[in-house]
Formats: sequence, C-alpha cells, structure tokens
Amino acid sequence: MFCYQCEQTYRSDEGAGCAGPKGMCGKDATTSDLQDVLLHVCEGIGQYLHRARVLGATDADADRFVLYAFFTTLTNVNFNAGKFVELIQQAAQHRDHAKALYEKAAQTAGKTPERLSGAAAFIPAKDMNGLLAQASEAAVKKDAATLGDDVVGLRSLVLYGLKGVCAYAHHAEVLGEERDAIYAAVEHALDLLASEPKEISPLLEEALALGHANFAAMEALDAANTGSFGTPVPTVVRMTPIKGKAILVSGHDLKDLHAILEATKDKGINVYTHGEVLPAHSYPKLKAYPQLVGNYGGAWQDQQKEFADFPGPIVMTSNCLIEPQARYRGRLFTAGPVGWAGVRHIENGDFSQVVQAAQALPGFNEDAPVETVTIGFGRDAVLGVADKVIDAVKSGAIRHFFLVGGCDGAAPGRNYYTDFAEHAPQDTMVLTIGCGKYRFNRHDFGTIGGLPRLLDMGQCNDAYSAIVVASKLAEAFGVGVNELPLSLIVSWFEQKAAAVLLTLLALGVRNVRLGPTLPAFLTPALVNVLVEKFGIQPIGDAKADIEASLSRAA
Amino acid sequence: MLKVNLLTRDGASIAFDAEPSDTLLDAATKANIFLPAVCREGGCGTCRVTRKTGMVALGPHSKAALTDADRAAGDILLCRAKACSDLELTAPFDKAAIGFSPIPERSARVTEISPAGAGAVRLVLQYEDDPTHGRATEFIPGQFMELTLPGTSITRAYSLANTPNWDGTLEFLIRLHPQGVFSAYLKNEAKIGDSIFVKGPQGSFTADEASQAPRWFVGGGTGVAPMLSMLRQMAEFGDAREARLYFGVNTQDDLFALDVIEDLKKSLPHLAATLCVWKPTPDWNGFEGTPADALAAALAAESAHPDIYVCGPPALIEATEVVSLSAGVARNRIFSEQFSPA
Repeated sequence: MFCYQCEQTYRSDEGAGCAGPKGMCGKDATTSDLQDVLLHVCEGIGQYLHRARVLGATDADADRFVLYAFFTTLTNVNFNAGKFVELIQQAAQHRDHAKALYEKAAQTAGKTPERLSGAAAFIPAKDMNGLLAQASEAAVKKDAATLGDDVVGLRSLVLYGLKGVCAYAHHAEVLGEERDAIYAAVEHALDLLASEPKEISPLLEEALALGHANFAAMEALDAANTGSFGTPVPTVVRMTPIKGKAILVSGHDLKDLHAILEATKDKGINVYTHGEVLPAHSYPKLKAYPQLVGNYGGAWQDQQKEFADFPGPIVMTSNCLIEPQARYRGRLFTAGPVGWAGVRHIENGDFSQVVQAAQALPGFNEDAPVETVTIGFGRDAVLGVADKVIDAVKSGAIRHFFLVGGCDGAAPGRNYYTDFAEHAPQDTMVLTIGCGKYRFNRHDFGTIGGLPRLLDMGQCNDAYSAIVVASKLAEAFGVGVNELPLSLIVSWFEQKAAAVLLTLLALGVRNVRLGPTLPAFLTPALVNVLVEKFGIQPIGDAKADIEASLSRAA
Repeated sequence: MLKVNLLTRDGASIAFDAEPSDTLLDAATKANIFLPAVCREGGCGTCRVTRKTGMVALGPHSKAALTDADRAAGDILLCRAKACSDLELTAPFDKAAIGFSPIPERSARVTEISPAGAGAVRLVLQYEDDPTHGRATEFIPGQFMELTLPGTSITRAYSLANTPNWDGTLEFLIRLHPQGVFSAYLKNEAKIGDSIFVKGPQGSFTADEASQAPRWFVGGGTGVAPMLSMLRQMAEFGDAREARLYFGVNTQDDLFALDVIEDLKKSLPHLAATLCVWKPTPDWNGFEGTPADALAAALAAESAHPDIYVCGPPALIEATEVVSLSAGVARNRIFSEQFSPA
C-alpha cells in the first residue's frame, strides 16, 4: 500500500504517505492496492473512450461507470476489499466494450485502429490474490525512482483532482444531469495518465483542464439539485433533536435523502441531516416534507460519537465514512459508492429496511432545548439582495468578504478556521461552504445592514454558487474577481476539495489561503509553482492572516 | 498502576491502566472497557489473548480453556491474569467485539419452542419494546446472549442462530443436557409467553470481515448455531466468497436445521455443506466421522488456506485446531468458541 491522497496522510521526517498495513483513514492495504488496480483499469477504459469520442462514438454506460468507480476510491468512501474485486472485473468488461467501440469507429472512419498498450492492455487477475500480485504495476509511486517525486506528485494531483471531478459528476448524474464536456475531460485525463507522462507541463495543463471540468461538474450538480428540489432559500434549521423515532442521513446525496423522505411519509419518523446534508433543509421540495425536522451533529470526523448516541438508523450516502463502531454498526446502512465489509448496503434506492429499523429502535425520548442555525444563502438568495450588498460595500458598511470554507477534519490545526471566522472584524462578511462551517456556524455573527454576517452557501460543491456570486459582484463593480475585496480561506481534506482548488486556479482566482497543511503529494518544487503562478499561500496565524487580507484590500 | 495495551485483530489499540491486584478483565471494566468474556472463571477461553511483552501472574484455569501449548505460545486468560509489569497484548477479535458501555439487559418473551433433532430445541424469543433499546435485535453474528432462568438468578450463555433484525427476534439452538437446569426448564416448564431476561450481545467469536479468505465453519451439535448466523448474514449481504460448513452430530437423529442449510445453499452459491455423523446407522450414506475428520480430508486436498471457525465441545475444538495447524493453517486464522457447560 502507498497512498497520500488526503490531508491526514501519515507524515514523518522520512516523507509522507500511508504505507503500513492500514492507512490513517482506516483503509487496509488490501483495499488500497485493489483501488490502485481499479483506477489503472479505468485508465484503460479512458484510452479507448477518448479515441472513440474523437471519432464520434461514445459509451455512456462506461462513462458513468468510471465516475462511480472513481468515487469509490475517494477518502472515506469504500473500505470493502471484496467489492473491488467485483468492480475490477466490471471495469475490464467496460474496457473491452470501449475497445470494440473504438475499433469499429476507426474502421467506419476508414482508419486503422491504434494498438494500445499499458493500462489498455492490462489483464486483471480474476481473484483477490492474483490482483494483489499485480498491484505494483498500478502503484502511485511506481515511477518515483526513475522520474522523481515532482512528476509523480503532479500525476497524483491530476489523479486526485480527477477523483473529485468524478465524484461531483456522479452526484449530478444520479439526478439526471450529464455533460459531454465532463465525460470528454475525464476520458482525456485518463488517457493522459495512462500514457505515463514524464514532463511537468502537460500535467500542469491537465490539472487546469480538470479545474474547468470540475467547474462544469459543479454547474451540472447545481442544475441537478436546483432542478430537482428547487432553488435554496434562507432557512432556519433546528440543530437539536425532538421526541420520536428517528433516521439520520449523512454524506452528500440529496437524491437518497429524497428517497428516504418519500419512504418515511406519514410513518411518524423524523429525519435528521448530518454533516454535508445540512444544506438540504434550504431546498423547497425537500423542506416541504414535515418529517425533515432538523440536523443532528456536526462534521464527519465526530461521527463515531454522534452515531453511537443517535437512537435510530443511520444512512451514509457518500463520503465521509469512518470505521463503524460496534455500538452502531448494526444500524448503519451504506448507499451509493460507500461500503464497509459487514455493514448493510442499500443497492437500489429501497430504504424500507431503514424505515423498519427506525420503527424498531427507540428514537429520542424527549425534546432537547432548541438551537438553530440559518442556512440557504445560495447564489440566488445572495444575488437577490445584490443591490443591498453593493450599496453596503460602496458605503463602507461592508469592508471585506471572507469565504471560509471547505472540509473539516480532526487535525488540531483546523482551529485556525474557527479563529479566523470568529475574529473577522464586524464590518466584514463571512461566506462559508462545506463541512468546515461546523467549526463556527453556531457562533453569533450578528448582521450588517439587515444581512446576516455569516452566509452559509451550502455544500462543498456549492463553491459553484460562490464563484457565480463573486463573478456577478465583480461584474457589478466593473473589476476582476481578484480585485474584489474578497479573500478565500480554504480548508481541504479529500479529493473533492482538490478538484475545487483546481477550479479556483483554472478560473484565475489568486491568493487562496490553503490549509491546514498543504497536500503531501505536492513537492516543494510544485508548491513553488503554485505560489508563483497562482499566489497560493499556506495558512498562518488567523489574526495575522486577517490583517494581511484586509491590508491587501485597502 | 501499570499500562496495558491491547492490539485487536483489526489493528485498533486499546489502552487501559491496571492495578497489580486486579485481573486484566476487571481493570478494563474499571476503565469502561468491556472485553469479551463469559465464565470469568478461567473455564471457557473466551477471553484468551496473546502476551507480546511483559509479565503476568496467571491464576488457576481449565486446561480446556488454555492448554499448556497455548500458554507456551504466550496466551493468557484476561479473567485469570494480573499484570506484573506493563503489558503489550494482541487479541484474536476485532474492536467491534469490545463494549464501551455496559452490556444491555432486556426483557423478552418466548414465542416458540420446538424440537431440533433428538437432543436439542429451537427456542425463539421476542424482545419487549423498551424505551432505551426499542425492539431491535442488534448483535454481530457469532455473538451470544446470557439468558436468565425465570425466577432465578441462574444464567446460561447461548449463541444466536439468526441475524440482527428489526422485529426483535432472537433464535437459539440449545442442546438438552440431562442434568442441565436450563435444559430441565426448556423440557418441562417453558411455555409460550414466558418472560426471560436477556443480557447481551456478548462474545468475540465473529467473522473477520477484513479477511478475504474462504470461510470454513466447523460446528459440533448446537455449536452450529453461530455458524448459521454468520452464514445467514453472508447470504443477506450477498457475500459470494467460498464457504464450507462441516456440521457434526453423534447420530442421524440428532441432525436439525437441514432446511436452513438448504436455503443457505440456494442463496450462497459457493457454499458446500457436509453433514458428519459420528456413529451412523447402516442406512446413512453421508460422511461417517467427526467434522474434524471431514475437515482434515478437505484441507489435505486444498492448497490455499481458509479461515477456520469452530464451535462445539472442547474435544472438537482441539481436534479442529490440530488438523488445521498440521495442514498449515496459521494459528491466528483459527477462530474458536467453546460450549460453556449448561
């Protein structure tokens, strides 16, 4: 096993990366190695699909499979080694179909099909032991000795950015929103990775291309979410339980939440959101269900305690899953790309078992004291009051905007984000996305000119909303986004965040402060490139960073 | 105060402090860590772990629970061992088998008692709805419950044969011992609607989910109950790995749950079941001998090594360990649970 895709990867003086029998996330070496093999076979799919698409032939099933397969390999998604043996065989079948598709398209076009090597020609073993023996061919670091850590690190940036793109595109796809441009970009990136690139510049270009692809994926997901469930509106959400039977829905997937709300209609069961599902409360068609009563708990890293204390079934619809503890393992269900050996998986959107579990489990015995937060400041809600905002900026009532957002995690250094948000001066607004918000979203920020000072814009993918708002404001002020009184204070943990970061870079957004640590796969040389080309800065001291941001604006 | 660190099968590190005067089991309990144990008297072997470093004083115990060979290999019983120094231990069970809150005690009613072969019964209980636990039956297949004999404080531990469920059902397969008090109750007094206290789930005899190896199950008599639970869960989860069941009884008349095994074979295409009769009548045309004999023959014909799960009387466990080890199965791939005396 070697993996350094997430922020919490093992770091020591000798270098970074999880290489033991088990990664810091809890993924074991077997699963990690099988995931490497799966990604390798998917690269082979991409080699054929990319060439077929150039000739006008596409395979939507294979494209969708790649999104799903990549999603299973994100941090904290699927830990079930047995599942990967199955997925690798499916990937090989898709690759064979893609090969036939490409060869037929080439013949139709009167061309001789290329004979592809590498991932395209890799024949995965049929069983676990055989696959594990092949894993070294697919290992992330296999060329480090010959090519050096810079190239390998940049390949990793592309691979992990691609994972984020695939995850967002999968969320959109399950709700029926797909884009040819996304599939073309995914295939292109797979083909590039399969070619085992040895130079820095094509990889850097690909990373930025994936940033654009991710913008398209987030746009598609925004269209999927708003198209299915309406445009988010400011909403007060209860953060404490009420008496009664209960289901907790965690992850990110609004489609699964909707299916659970349908399944619990008139059943006397309350449904709570957890983690990144909190923004669901702001979507009109979801908040219309009276049994969607509130949010329970905070960000993903607290789930072992929160799930243990929750007196009903828990559904994990996407990342971030961590090792299920005995106290709740039996009432935990996974759905979509998520999996853990020995935990029930819902395969087909049929949540009736979860309903049965909720009825059998005790639920909450009493109401807890009321606590609330206000959410739902997506692009429409903010742009709806754009005139007020613009006036407030012109009058000096709003001096600066801080977007403090991204992933949360357990690392102590993440207190920075709490400090930053809470110490931002009263004449500044704090926008937030992702689960990092739980570090400060119960803090009373007050208001500016009738507007709340803290605007919760939604999930991590609602970075799209933030970018749209920033672009519109820039337009209104007649400046570029980088000239706005806006600083981005980004926390990252996993590969969705890596994709969002690539989007910001691709769109030319400069001066992003990134933490709590920089990705381990970025070597000092690569970090220098990011600093020089894009002005990325590591986080420092919260108060000093606030001062620095404000003086840049002044 | 001495430091104890226990490394579980799935790599979790469990640390607690121990006074030299406390057994390790009690020391853990004081730290709100409830380690797997049943008899707590050195008799059953449930709490057996391996000492990697450090010294313990080991109190009297049954040789069936901890053989001299086990001891020589570093094994100790948590219920009999007191720390003499800081300790590093490894456990043959997952962190999931450890409780971090007291074991639930709940009330259930008898809904079915029916014969299971000549010498055993199938007992089905239904949990009563209660405000703390609702009516769900939550456990890990392979675990057991302690049942209290109505009107007494006498308890007996029995493995569950069904799977976790939301209607509160608990299914047990219980051998009727001629002198057993619980057996006497089941034979003579038990009736539908009786109320029985249930303490559990408990026990560490659960499938190693992190292992991808085939699972071979060896069950002697009602020792097949936890195997049926694990196999039923594999069927529910669509676990397609190779599995084998060696189910042993003394005579054909003792066989039971054959319909369950047939159903399992339908939903688990890679399951093969061998019924082993020790002393069959001449009309028996299946395997003659103990399940350990059948296992030995099968292991000899196999190059890859499965994980072995065995439950039953001490002699069967010992025989299974002997044939497995001599076929080259690693010691830490053999998981066992002994019958406690009824």
